[in-house]
Amino acid sequence: MRIVVGIKWVPNTQAVRFDPKTGTLIRAGVPSIVNPHDFPAIELALRLKDMYGGEVIAVTMAPPSATQGLEHVLGMGVDKGILLTDRKFAGADTLATSYVIAKGIEKISKEIGPVDVAIFGHETIDSSTAHIGAQVASWLGWPYVYYARDAKLVEDGKLRVTRQTEKAVEEYEVNLPAVVATAIKALKPRPVRLSYKLRAKIEKPIIAWNIEDLGLDPRCTGLKGSPTVVANITWMPEVPRKKIVYTPKDPRDAARWILKQLFSDESVAGFLKKALWGEE
Amino acid sequence: MSSQTPTKFDVVVVGAGPAGASAAYLLAKAGYKVLIVERGRGAGTKELFGGKIYAEPLRTVWPDLDKEAPIHRWVTRERISFVKGERVTTVEFKLGRKVAFTTYLTEMAKWMTNKAVESGAILVDEVRVDEIIVENGRVKGIRSGPDTIEADVVVDAEGVNRILLEKLGLAEKIKPDQVALGVKEVINIGKKAMNERLLLDEGEGLAWFMVGDVTAGIPGGGFMYTMKDTIALGLVLHIGKAYEAAKTGELKHTVPMLLEKLRTHPFFSKIWGDADVLEYGAHMTIEGGLRYMPKKLYMPGLVVVGDAAGLLLNTGYTIRGVDYAVYSGKLAAETIIEALESDGPTEENLRKYEERVRESFMFRELVKHRGIEKVMEDPMFFTKLPAMLNILLAKLYEQDYEEPTVLEALLDSVKESDVSLSKFMLKLFSVVSKL
Ligand SMILES: Cc1cc2nc3c(=O)[nH]c(=O)nc-3n(C[C@H](O)[C@H](O)[C@H](O)COP(=O)(O)OP(=O)(O)OC[C@H]3O[C@@H](n4cnc5c(N)ncnc54)[C@H](O)[C@@H]3O)c2cc1C
Repeated sequence: MRIVVGIKWVPNTQAVRFDPKTGTLIRAGVPSIVNPHDFPAIELALRLKDMYGGEVIAVTMAPPSATQGLEHVLGMGVDKGILLTDRKFAGADTLATSYVIAKGIEKISKEIGPVDVAIFGHETIDSSTAHIGAQVASWLGWPYVYYARDAKLVEDGKLRVTRQTEKAVEEYEVNLPAVVATAIKALKPRPVRLSYKLRAKIEKPIIAWNIEDLGLDPRCTGLKGSPTVVANITWMPEVPRKKIVYTPKDPRDAARWILKQLFSDESVAGFLKKALWGEE
Repeated sequence: MSSQTPTKFDVVVVGAGPAGASAAYLLAKAGYKVLIVERGRGAGTKELFGGKIYAEPLRTVWPDLDKEAPIHRWVTRERISFVKGERVTTVEFKLGRKVAFTTYLTEMAKWMTNKAVESGAILVDEVRVDEIIVENGRVKGIRSGPDTIEADVVVDAEGVNRILLEKLGLAEKIKPDQVALGVKEVINIGKKAMNERLLLDEGEGLAWFMVGDVTAGIPGGGFMYTMKDTIALGLVLHIGKAYEAAKTGELKHTVPMLLEKLRTHPFFSKIWGDADVLEYGAHMTIEGGLRYMPKKLYMPGLVVVGDAAGLLLNTGYTIRGVDYAVYSGKLAAETIIEALESDGPTEENLRKYEERVRESFMFRELVKHRGIEKVMEDPMFFTKLPAMLNILLAKLYEQDYEEPTVLEALLDSVKESDVSLSKFMLKLFSVVSKL
């Protein structure tokens, strides 16, 4: 089985501050990380490989600094990394991004071997669109299942994908090749291993493809290929928080006290009543 | 693992700190196959220190240090302040020679490790070594999770928290009295403001040590170092004593609160005003060197370097750990090269490493200053004396009409700060002889 997993190298948004005067993000000095929601996708890909053999190829469209992110997932047991990188890819919205990734997957199928499944995380922490999986599936014309928690092969070569919604567990069987997007925190990722990291350092299984390698029209990539326009960003005004410290001896008093505090706020009380007892 | 990936190296170095990086660099440069394993993401990411490194020992490893290393400022001025409440007595010394520089250890460790990698060492980061493998009394390699790597020699450069050495039985479990807690904030003051307010020229730096009630009665002190355009401000506190004081309720503040108090101190805060705090962190360090040294710094197939070997001099006003770490890494590399060129990393051949350490300036210094930690733990010196000094000067200067004689003022301040004069003289002698 040849599995492609899409990853994104994102600024650690927990460390990003924003400039209240200009409303822009201060990204300087913020370390990048592999998008946390990609880890269930990586884990699912590695589990499929554990069960059925084959290889896992991580793909990212990013500047060369994302090599570090690819090395991280290679350390988890991913076999190859593909960096889709070109200045002409910069400024892409999800349409232009998914286009480049889909073309990358086609190239993998042609030159490395046919891809059976492409797996993506639910969304990224720095843009939260949850578009990429669906859009890649459209470009490729492959079936798409999202909110996935697990997947396995069944008799006639189909992939059975388990997905969990609010009220039900559903199972879908799709023909391969297919695109799957995992749910947030669906699977616990495995740690980095010395032997895999060492292999990555020595064999350097990371390939970089630019716009020419992919044979793409620059009018369809990056800023030029991105019809999305961010019309406006407004920031939520910061809510001043009051700090109250209450230290009773008996934890039961603490519980009572905190409930009283919560119910003393009308909107919180309304929400709690609805959530706890279904009251309107 | 595929066939291309080796499972055996000449040398495996545990930890990409200054000690590991220097050993790895010299060994790789000599043509040996070296693997560095570091649990942090990239070299340096787990590091935190005060800010001042003595250059000469580093130049013995990297002669081009001054040109290439991420040096922030050369220390041209040293200050010591004795603090009692809002009263501060400061002594400042303008150096005649540049011997030490300021930097971030994160940058420095990264630079040193890059040197090793450029020379052919392989760095595997984000991976923790779980065990040093011993077979028949000889170190065979390391284990990390399910993976093992064989090595002719393992260099243990794991730093102050030497869990691997403890597992091996080479070091005892850390006692609270042997270590100190360091906390540090980085303040974004800006180069211009810093140079103006501290009267520094371009590239010049200031190292500042504060002693007195900044540590709220816990043995230790405060420090401030000027980086390129930021200030490193921190405290080092004796862990054992801090723990006791917290238990008895004597220590009313948490450690971060003590640091906040220092940052907002009416005198010191004049320098940085309300400039932003960019980051904060904490790290453990060694209280007193010799006590922390393992029974042996080697066994067949293993050498121990840097903090893990207890090679750090802490005189209270200066910590020398990085240069000691680098220098011990150098001695280790030289010994390993000799051993691998003769009949291997045997007990006899690696013993030479410990001998070299014992013949070096590091060991001589540690012996000379032996017992300094006892002095530093004496409240006489880190609380009473600073108090006395400030009371004395207050008596002399804070008068509207009549001043006492110096002798009167001295006797009064001795009494008020609860210092016994005879004990004081005796102790002063013991300090001066150990510092
Ligand atoms: C607050 C404070 C202030 C200080 N001020 C100064 C100063 O001004 N000047 C000075 O010279 N020194 C100072 N020091 C001391 C100095 O930081 C140390 O002496 C020095 O860093 C020791 O170097 P090392 O290489 O032995 O260990 P470290 O620098 O601690 O490096 C050890 C490395 O090993 C890694 N590691 C540990 N265990 C494992 C494992 N099992 N597997 C993989 N990797 C592992 C760690 O992540 C780390 O990167 C200060 C220390 C502190 C805490």
